[in-house]
Amino acid sequence: MSFARRQHGGPLLRGLVVLGLVVFVVWSAGPVVWLIVSSLLEQQALISQPPDVSPSAFTLDNFVQVIAAAAALGKGILNSLMVALFSTAVSLALGAPAAYALARLPVPRANNIAFLILATQMLPGIAIAIPLFIAISKLGLIDSVFSLGFVYLSFNLPIVVWILRGFFLGIPVGIERAAAVDGAGVFATFWHIVLPISIPPLAAAAVFAFVEAWNEFFFALILTRQSAQTVPLVIAQFAGQYQTVFGQMMAAAVISVAPVIVLAIVFRNQIVRGFADGMTKG
Amino acid sequence: MTAVELRNVSKSFGSHPVCRDVNLAVGEGEFVTLLGSSGCGKTTTLNMIAGLEDASSGDILMNGQRVNDLSPVQRDVAMVFQNYALYPHMTVAQNIGFTLKMRRLAAADIRARVEKVAASLELSALLERLPAQLSGGQQQRVAIGRALVREPRVFLFDEPFSNLDAGLRVRMRAEVKELHQRLGVTSVFVTHDQEEAMSISDRIAVMNQGVVEQFGTPEEIYSQPASRTVAVFIGNPRIELFPGTVARTADGTFCRIGGVSLALDPRHAEGEVEIGVRPEHVRLGERGIPAVVRMVQPVGPATHVTLDWEGGSLTASQPGFVRLAPGSAVRAEIDPAQLLVFDRKTGRRL
Amino acid sequence: MTVTAATFEQRRRRVGLLFVLPALLVLAAVLGYPIVDSIMLALQRVTLTGGAIQQSWVGFDNFQRLFADATFQRAALNTAYFSAMEVVLVVLISLGVAVLLNHPMGRFGVFRILLIVPWAIAPVANAVLWKWILHANYGVLNGILKGLGLIDHYHVWLGTPVSALNFLLLVDVWKSVPFVALLILAGLQRVPSILYRAAYMDGAGPVQSFLHVTLPTIRSVIAIAVVLQTIWSLRVFDIVFVLTRGGPADATALLNFLAYRVTFNFLDLGYGSAIANVIFAITMLLAILYVWLLWPRPAGAKR
Repeated sequence: MSFARRQHGGPLLRGLVVLGLVVFVVWSAGPVVWLIVSSLLEQQALISQPPDVSPSAFTLDNFVQVIAAAAALGKGILNSLMVALFSTAVSLALGAPAAYALARLPVPRANNIAFLILATQMLPGIAIAIPLFIAISKLGLIDSVFSLGFVYLSFNLPIVVWILRGFFLGIPVGIERAAAVDGAGVFATFWHIVLPISIPPLAAAAVFAFVEAWNEFFFALILTRQSAQTVPLVIAQFAGQYQTVFGQMMAAAVISVAPVIVLAIVFRNQIVRGFADGMTKG
Repeated sequence: MTAVELRNVSKSFGSHPVCRDVNLAVGEGEFVTLLGSSGCGKTTTLNMIAGLEDASSGDILMNGQRVNDLSPVQRDVAMVFQNYALYPHMTVAQNIGFTLKMRRLAAADIRARVEKVAASLELSALLERLPAQLSGGQQQRVAIGRALVREPRVFLFDEPFSNLDAGLRVRMRAEVKELHQRLGVTSVFVTHDQEEAMSISDRIAVMNQGVVEQFGTPEEIYSQPASRTVAVFIGNPRIELFPGTVARTADGTFCRIGGVSLALDPRHAEGEVEIGVRPEHVRLGERGIPAVVRMVQPVGPATHVTLDWEGGSLTASQPGFVRLAPGSAVRAEIDPAQLLVFDRKTGRRL
Repeated sequence: MTVTAATFEQRRRRVGLLFVLPALLVLAAVLGYPIVDSIMLALQRVTLTGGAIQQSWVGFDNFQRLFADATFQRAALNTAYFSAMEVVLVVLISLGVAVLLNHPMGRFGVFRILLIVPWAIAPVANAVLWKWILHANYGVLNGILKGLGLIDHYHVWLGTPVSALNFLLLVDVWKSVPFVALLILAGLQRVPSILYRAAYMDGAGPVQSFLHVTLPTIRSVIAIAVVLQTIWSLRVFDIVFVLTRGGPADATALLNFLAYRVTFNFLDLGYGSAIANVIFAITMLLAILYVWLLWPRPAGAKR
């Protein structure tokens, strides 16, 4: 048996792999499929035992109703968009130069700083939530999209720095030296050489930060009241209020997760490379 | 007039010295190569000339002016890097023109100069390509073009050909040499390939452990190596060394290696030495030291015959093809005029 | 010396500081200050009355309360169980998934998409989804299990303490596996394929090849996954909030949730900070371990 064939293994192993893959697909996709199916079924079909999934039971009513009824959802999506964009933009604007400096410029104790930043990123939100709540209350900035977006920098800025640093470390030194000899200063090198060749990791970091901000619940719960409520809060409230309108609940959930899921699928390779590699390599 | 001069230049990273008291004077229009194995400090020396690394102590001068505190641009040097170091997101034209853009030249001027350089390097048809779409040789040419377009005072080359395959390396070497002959711009070249250094340079500085062992023309380096290290580094197949004792007798000065006596130039004093014999100075024939053939390696223009004799092993380089079976007995004649004698303790040539 | 006369290295050093400083300032504001203040708060009695915050120093009272507080101790135990189980389950399942997806038959893009989707789903949406799946009267889990004849009547899965905690565990494992699998998969793909060829030439079968080539080379990745997953399991909040609110009978009040409840429902900010400090201390120890695992070791490498 050749090596190439051997990689696939014998019939027993192949059978196990196929079985494993089937289990994996059912396990991963099952709940998501049920989310989408439920959002498309009418209430009567959902509460029959077992649920009625005949074609006639499918409808777009849930979506229509949710969009018509819940002004809060639209407002939430707008708020989430603002929070996520603000926090992503600031994370990149501050994080990219910092990551470059920590990776390539002779900053004293660059490694220590980088690892400290990584370690703080692991902090549980609760460890910083109480002081932030008090401070933001005192400043009268509770329930503001921007204070929430600023707090999100506590996890987004470190992760952006870490993802980009990993990439910058891999840029050949020769390119920067060539730029220096060509007359580019550090700023020009960063702007004309380093950033343009880092577009894929920049995109990965941006998507990552955006998704994290979009999905964040804990800080949003503590730091917003009404006008700055983000999507996860709206969904959680919705689930509390309309406990029995299952189809609409699922439709709201689908609407709220769809944008980031599309983003994540489109940028999956960059995310995997940027994050998975970043978290497991020093 | 010296274009580039290093005076007692040292460099250390932390407590680790990389270059120690390097002194070097490169004349205007001269082609000088820094030669040594990896980690000998040659690239660091080049980077200090370029302004990419600061000297820990000592002075770097260009045209008589101290340039230690000047940036690479202010020193007016251009550099060709190992692995080309092309900007992957820029076309060939943008790569070559980047330096002019940084000097804020008008777009039309940049275009004109880029096209002129590209024409001279036969890159005109490739100007809109990205580096990834070029062959190794073409990328190398772009890297050279990027340096040429500046019309700098000094060219620096950091192992520019180490990524090319053997055939292309020899061709690019010839191209660079012709370019230098045509433009006459002062050049400093770094390589670990002694043959490359010999073939391309006006003068070679052989470096070892951060120190310049010898600075001289290829011929001086080859025929009159200053030390054992230099002698071993230059020449292929490498020089053979034998511990010996110099003795003066009424018949002349001799060196004894085991039971064999070799005649030496009478200027040598008595003492413990090491004798260096280059393979091309050993002739197989009717006279000389008795030896047994161990191995025969034909390489085309010559055949390298490895011999066993009383003093150990010895390689003889014979022109053309030599038909000898391993185990056959031969006699090896060593040209006494070409023997290199080194002090056994210091390694300096006597 | 003027700016223009600076050497390459000097300039890079100067710009380096300029580049790092803004990010560090922001991090000092959103991380440094709160961490320090959180420790201070834990040493105070802090209450919210009529919208005003009142603080007074009480020394280690809040920490002493921890030892007498049965709810805290229950939460600590529950958290220990939850985290331990979660780490074991997530890492084992993830390793299996990663190995499957690294097999030539598992290398289709679709499988990668299946890994990225659960990560991208908001934890809250995920919790809402599972609340529906686990619903006592109309939940699809009950429907399927009854359809398969595995149960004879519908269960209230989140109704009893042990069952509720374990179902929270299931939901969080489902959410966490994909990303850890991606980490391990990335590690697997860094194993040079030439090693497998060499092992094959040396006569190793698939199992031996896995034990002697694969596992040793991804050992560090697995260690990292264990530490990261422990850290992540300590900050589970959203699913508790949506699915059980800590109930029934505080069975699912994990430390993180308890700290939230004490602080923002009972408005006992000082005591809440003390609990938060406990979580912070554990996390910090784990983070140090993580950094130690990741720290670049000199491997004869020079720059």
